[in-house]
Amino acid sequence: MVLVLALGDLHIPHRAADLPAKFKSMLVPGKIQHIICTGNLCIKEIHDYLKSLCPDLHVSRGEYDEDSHYPETKTLTIGQFKLGLCHGHQIVPWGDLDSLAMLQRQLDVDILVTGHTHQFKAYKHEGGVVINPGSATGAHSSITYDANPSFVLMDIDALRVVVYVYELIDGEVKVDKIDFKKTTTTHACH
Amino acid sequence: MATSQGETALPEPLSPSRSSSSGSRFSNLRGVRWRIDLGILPNSPASVDDLRRVAADSRRKYVQLKRRLLVNSHPSKDENRSSGVVMDDPLSQSPDSKWGRFFRNAELEKMLDQDLSRLYPELGSYFQKAACQSMLRQILLLWCLKHPEYGYRKGMHELLAPLLYVLHVDLQHLSQVQELYVDHFNDEFDGTSFSESDMVSDCSFKKTANMNRGTDSEKHFYGGAAKVSCLDKLDPDTRELFLMNDAYGAEGELGVILSEKFMEHDAYCMFDAVMSGSHGVVAMADFFSTSPAMGSGTELPPVVEASTTFYHLLHIVDSSLHNHLVELGVEPQYFALRWLRVLFGREFSLKDLLLIWDEIFSSPNHVSPSDIANDADFNLSLLCSPRGAFISAMAVSMLLHLRSSLLATEHATTCLQRLLNFPKDMSVKKLIEKAKSLQTLAFETNLSSCSPWGGTVRNKRAVRRAHSLSFDSASPRASPSSLPESYWEEKWRVLHRAEETHKTNGVSILSKIRNGSLKEKFGLFRVELDASMMETASEKKDVQSSIRHKILDNACQEGDPRVNLGEIGCNENPDISGTKESFYMDAEVGRDSPGEQADQNFMGGSSGVAEEACLSAKQLSVLCTAAGPRRMASEHDSEKSSVTSNSFVSDNDCKTGHKEELCSSNCRKKLLQDSEATSVTDVKLGQRTSSTQKHAAVLKEQRPLSGKFQWLWKFGRVSGERNLDDGKCVEQQKFSDVGGTCKDISEPLTCDGCCNSCGVSRKLEAEHKEVPGTLRSLGQSMLENIQVIESVFQQEQRQVGVADNSSSTILEAQGQVKIATALEELRKISGLLLEM
Repeated sequence: MVLVLALGDLHIPHRAADLPAKFKSMLVPGKIQHIICTGNLCIKEIHDYLKSLCPDLHVSRGEYDEDSHYPETKTLTIGQFKLGLCHGHQIVPWGDLDSLAMLQRQLDVDILVTGHTHQFKAYKHEGGVVINPGSATGAHSSITYDANPSFVLMDIDALRVVVYVYELIDGEVKVDKIDFKKTTTTHACH
Repeated sequence: MATSQGETALPEPLSPSRSSSSGSRFSNLRGVRWRIDLGILPNSPASVDDLRRVAADSRRKYVQLKRRLLVNSHPSKDENRSSGVVMDDPLSQSPDSKWGRFFRNAELEKMLDQDLSRLYPELGSYFQKAACQSMLRQILLLWCLKHPEYGYRKGMHELLAPLLYVLHVDLQHLSQVQELYVDHFNDEFDGTSFSESDMVSDCSFKKTANMNRGTDSEKHFYGGAAKVSCLDKLDPDTRELFLMNDAYGAEGELGVILSEKFMEHDAYCMFDAVMSGSHGVVAMADFFSTSPAMGSGTELPPVVEASTTFYHLLHIVDSSLHNHLVELGVEPQYFALRWLRVLFGREFSLKDLLLIWDEIFSSPNHVSPSDIANDADFNLSLLCSPRGAFISAMAVSMLLHLRSSLLATEHATTCLQRLLNFPKDMSVKKLIEKAKSLQTLAFETNLSSCSPWGGTVRNKRAVRRAHSLSFDSASPRASPSSLPESYWEEKWRVLHRAEETHKTNGVSILSKIRNGSLKEKFGLFRVELDASMMETASEKKDVQSSIRHKILDNACQEGDPRVNLGEIGCNENPDISGTKESFYMDAEVGRDSPGEQADQNFMGGSSGVAEEACLSAKQLSVLCTAAGPRRMASEHDSEKSSVTSNSFVSDNDCKTGHKEELCSSNCRKKLLQDSEATSVTDVKLGQRTSSTQKHAAVLKEQRPLSGKFQWLWKFGRVSGERNLDDGKCVEQQKFSDVGGTCKDISEPLTCDGCCNSCGVSRKLEAEHKEVPGTLRSLGQSMLENIQVIESVFQQEQRQVGVADNSSSTILEAQGQVKIATALEELRKISGLLLEM
């Protein structure tokens, strides 16, 4: 049983000052085993903060990231799942399922995590999952003006993934849960 | 394992370990024996089916517990669909959430792993195996979750490990036996073992509780006459073993007594039984908790209490070793904590430990109802079951084993070093035998210590309780209402009544004197102070002495019944009656002489100054009330008595001030009665000194009897203070030019102070023990007393020349002699005390 935190598009300090306080209080070290970040952090301080939550941090590069060493895409294997990571500004059109599915096949991953649209999305697609955790700070994007801050926590256990979606709506944290099993093939649920 | 109960055995062999059979059932299956001893499996001639049923039940319970307590982070899908919003998320901050529990469990497991990975490194081949480790972890985790009030403490895993090991050894034994018979069941049952499963239901139906019938039915099943004869020939132990481990017996596989599959279940049940004591007295879990046990009523952690209990046993068995340990300040819990918490697991190798645990578990853990019947608070002692008695006996026999090397130690550290590095190369059998011989004694003392008439343990408890109350102890504690104590209380009450009447006399007399004197004083105070100094020295002295003696009598008598009571309560000392009588005499005399004076004063005195009278009455009432609680809690409350003694001192201080005034005014009137008064005083002085001597003598007598002194230092200090205060009084009196006369009185006062304190301390010393080092401080305080007296004495001698009154000098000479004797006595006492 592994807990993987997926988040991105923080845009600190350009579009948001900090993570919402409620999120910060929930994110404590010791619980999460891996963090995957889609990018646009944008400064090193946030990178360090995420490191303090969990040392195993994986970041892909967003267009606003100061650190140019982040890779454009990244894959990693956790348990029996292969995870792919990409910021998503490269995918045209942005956030399009078919384009994302293409990338998923390209990377050959079970779970593809992308960002850039600042809107939470999760699809079950072709035996895999495509997840967009949204913006952890609720920063505006070139598409949306008022986004809800959100991030995703994945509980990976053997062939099963439980995706917990944390969304801050009107100052309240709402938690949703999506179950996914590797062998099953179903279409989008959200 | 392919066992089957129909299996026929080779007629010839006995199982190899059977020779060790001591006649008891399952003599070579230690695990089964322990499970029976611990109350997991039924005792008495239970049939195999019963055993199996109970075993299956216990295992079912464990599975239920596991299901309930262990967090499954993935609840079934149905649950999720029911509500749109999921409450349990991994980042949830509420501690009750499933995830919260999950993370806490993970933390606990981490802690367990730290300890388990270091468990029995010398037997790592078994204990460090992953399977064993996970079993141990699971059991401990479940137990801790089930008993959140205890949680996990280091040492629990060491209690569990031998239990699991024993089960493992049993399994090994089983497989050995199976190997012996392996040819047979391979040949005969390979084919049938599967078809047999169809008949299981029939088989178990046909089987009755009776074992023989069961075998009959088997005979019926397999039909062969040869097999029947073989089964009969099979020795009963082995047959039972097979019956117990037959997968097709009662309860099916779940009922297999020795099963690798259910080792975890069984070990948990055993561990739980050990920890909780299975409704018995000795519950190991208590030893891990820091809060006092439920029924004990003490502030002490149970493990400290238990170690005190076995120290008490040591005192009975070998008081010299006990004295030595106490003298070095080696508290029992320093080493007993380690011994008791893991039941000697650290001191012996596992092989020896199993032998010891055999004995521990085989002694019942219950106190028979007849013992409880007459004893309401029987729960007081933690070790008052035979099992507890054996534990304490074992500890004592271990101490005795180290006796010579312990006695050779001079420091607490070396002593503890030897205690904590128990020699490994010793025969456990001998130790166990010794412990067994001590067990009955331990049992009796433990029992008696929980019964109200009070062994030391309970006394100690009471003392500690009083000690913990310390400052709010002013409220009198209702003394325990048990028969022997109430008897002494009654006796004391008789004494008390007489004393009280006397005291009321005293009050009235004193106020009368005060009235008269004050009236005089208003008019004549200054003139008298100047003029009458030299002439009336002797009279002043007389009056003062009489009054003072009266007060002293009061004070003494307040102390005395207590002292007497203490003496009687502790050990029947023949001297008591004597001292009591002497004090009675004292009281009589004291009452008579003030009576005379009161009469005389009454003649002279007119309307009194009410306020002053009230004041004096108040002072006395303070004294009375101060003495009151002392009486109420007639035995142990040292705090109270120290309070009283302090107030007593302050009273003395106040009164000496007053008395100087009144004496100076009174003395003229009493020129005539001088001679009478002096004679009376003399008598009193004589009695006083003699009583002092007597006290000293008694003290000396009692010294060897009472080995240990717990509160002595306290009293030593108190008495020192008191004497210092007295000394101050003496100084004040000197400055007010009363002359050497007062000192005569002040010296007996100091003597009395000593005497009182001696009495008090003696009382306590008989009851309480420990802390011999504090004796030294007492000795020093006594030396201080002596110095005070000596200084007074010297000054007095200087002033003897100044005093021109012949009678006073004679009196002083007498006083000196007496003082000298008193001094000598004091020196002796202090010498003795210092020696100790």
